[in-house]
Amino acid sequence: MAERISFSAVINGQKVGPMDLPHDLMMVELLQEYLNLTGTRLSCGQGVCSACTIIVDDAEKGSYTVPACVTGVAWLNGKSVRTIEGIAGRDEQGGPVPSPIQRAFLEHFSFQCSYCTPGFVNGATVLVERLQRQPIASDQVEAAILEALDRHICRCTGYVRYYQAVRDVILSTPGLTTDGPQFDMVARQEVTQ
Amino acid sequence: MITALRIIGALVLLAVIGAGLLFWSAGKEVRIPPASVDFAALTTDQHDRLIERGEWVARASDCAACHSDPDGGSDLSGGLPMVTPMGSIYGTNITPSREYGIGDWSPDDLYRAVAVGVAPGGRNLYPAMPYTSYHRITREDSDALWLWLMQQEPVDKPNRKNDMVFPFNIRPAISFWNALFRPEPAPFDAQGRPNAQGEYLVDVLGHCGECHTPRNAAYALTPDHLAGNVIEGAYAPDLRADALVSRGWNHSDLNSFLHRGLSPQGVMTFRMFPVLSHSTSHLPQQDLDAIASYLMPDQPVTDLAARRPSAALSSRGQDLYTGLCAGCHGDDGQGQPHSSVRLDVNTTAMFDDPINLVRVIAEGIPERDLAHGERMQAMPAFADMLSDADMASLVSYLRQRWGGQSDDVSAEQVQDALARAH
Repeated sequence: MAERISFSAVINGQKVGPMDLPHDLMMVELLQEYLNLTGTRLSCGQGVCSACTIIVDDAEKGSYTVPACVTGVAWLNGKSVRTIEGIAGRDEQGGPVPSPIQRAFLEHFSFQCSYCTPGFVNGATVLVERLQRQPIASDQVEAAILEALDRHICRCTGYVRYYQAVRDVILSTPGLTTDGPQFDMVARQEVTQ
Repeated sequence: MITALRIIGALVLLAVIGAGLLFWSAGKEVRIPPASVDFAALTTDQHDRLIERGEWVARASDCAACHSDPDGGSDLSGGLPMVTPMGSIYGTNITPSREYGIGDWSPDDLYRAVAVGVAPGGRNLYPAMPYTSYHRITREDSDALWLWLMQQEPVDKPNRKNDMVFPFNIRPAISFWNALFRPEPAPFDAQGRPNAQGEYLVDVLGHCGECHTPRNAAYALTPDHLAGNVIEGAYAPDLRADALVSRGWNHSDLNSFLHRGLSPQGVMTFRMFPVLSHSTSHLPQQDLDAIASYLMPDQPVTDLAARRPSAALSSRGQDLYTGLCAGCHGDDGQGQPHSSVRLDVNTTAMFDDPINLVRVIAEGIPERDLAHGERMQAMPAFADMLSDADMASLVSYLRQRWGGQSDDVSAEQVQDALARAH
């Protein structure tokens, strides 16, 4: 069995590698131990709690999530990945500008200890990006949020404020629902930044 | 020309007479054994013991496997679909509801339905009701089952109409099938039979052969008893002793599999999961031992060590396994207790037909409480992440690394497996 792998990827828009890594290295270890990207949280270590959720950007399928704790670098080799460090935008001075989902979580006081928050941000971000491609009727939004975020576990505040925040973003953002706010190119660009 | 017409006419006449004889022979009254007890004369003690036996019969026969309510109601009020090539059949209400269930049935009526496949009024049951296996139920057990069923909560829920395609939606026509394939009622006699209890549980009450035995073109069981069969989109494996031994089974693991739903060889999946929850997890240990002794008469000493790779493993398959599977199942396939199964000795990769392996990877498995404290975490579905070619590479890798299968599974075989899945 090959014990090493030559790993290259685009992580948060930056080219990483080629790196000589153990073939069986899990992505969360690469992020934390090799790249000092410590925002991705290791919790259950068996792909159940979704705290370590990261985003894979696929040119054909669009974005989707994987649990970094049980997804190996062997799968992510050559792919484009976003972690929580890559979600916020930048202002003209280079300071961080929270994404609409991040801003909504702050405004709704959605989290307390925040251990699960990076996973929730990434899961909700992928949901919003999916709705940009395939808008749904506004009466289907709550079910879509439940379906997308049900696997994320939070042990402090419960889930209501996370869900309310995501619902507000979806219902107030043009283009995400078929019967919601009118399509607005400027607002759409804000969301996709 | 005239001669040809005469021959055709004679053949048609013969066919009509033959069909008439078949129909008559199947439709005539089948003699059934008399009731085993006088229900009116039972003492309280006898009554209680009969109820207890009846519950055991219901569990061992797994009535709930087909007669439960898929919407979470009673285990006996019906509605569960069974998908066959001839259409879907829905399990009926067998609660003692007088309007919608079997509340008006006599003990004779129940025996005739279970062992002969004919409901009151001479209505043929579809052979989805496994009377071809139940025909050997003892009258004592049928009577105990009747008493237990009549004690259950009646549920006034109408039966769902079957969605059978023509001509299979013509119930009287089942008489032809019965004439050709239905065995006569023959109450099981344990005398002189080695492993009689195991045989009774496997072949009669448990009706294992209904899924695990291949069927012929008329959908009747073939003589290749328990030789394995694809049914309802999954492969029900070969349960013959040699096949079980070759896949690494032994009595102890078989017992554990039936009791808790898990053993090193695998976890109860597809239609075996409800069999665990409704039936085998409720059976006493001596029954499970009897089943193991019947299926594997010579206690084998099986080496549970993983097989050696049967072919050169592809680097693509290894990347996919390490990248998507090893995080839970381990690089060495050892799995994790109570969360993910072992793959190094798992039998699913050993089957000739890759359908189960493809389906599990494509569809995933829900998180499950198995039985007696055993549980498994959810297995994710990878259909959206894997192309058919990648699925083929991964499935080939698993089969070659641990399954003893040396051939490559192609993308076309993956598509075929997914097409047969539902």
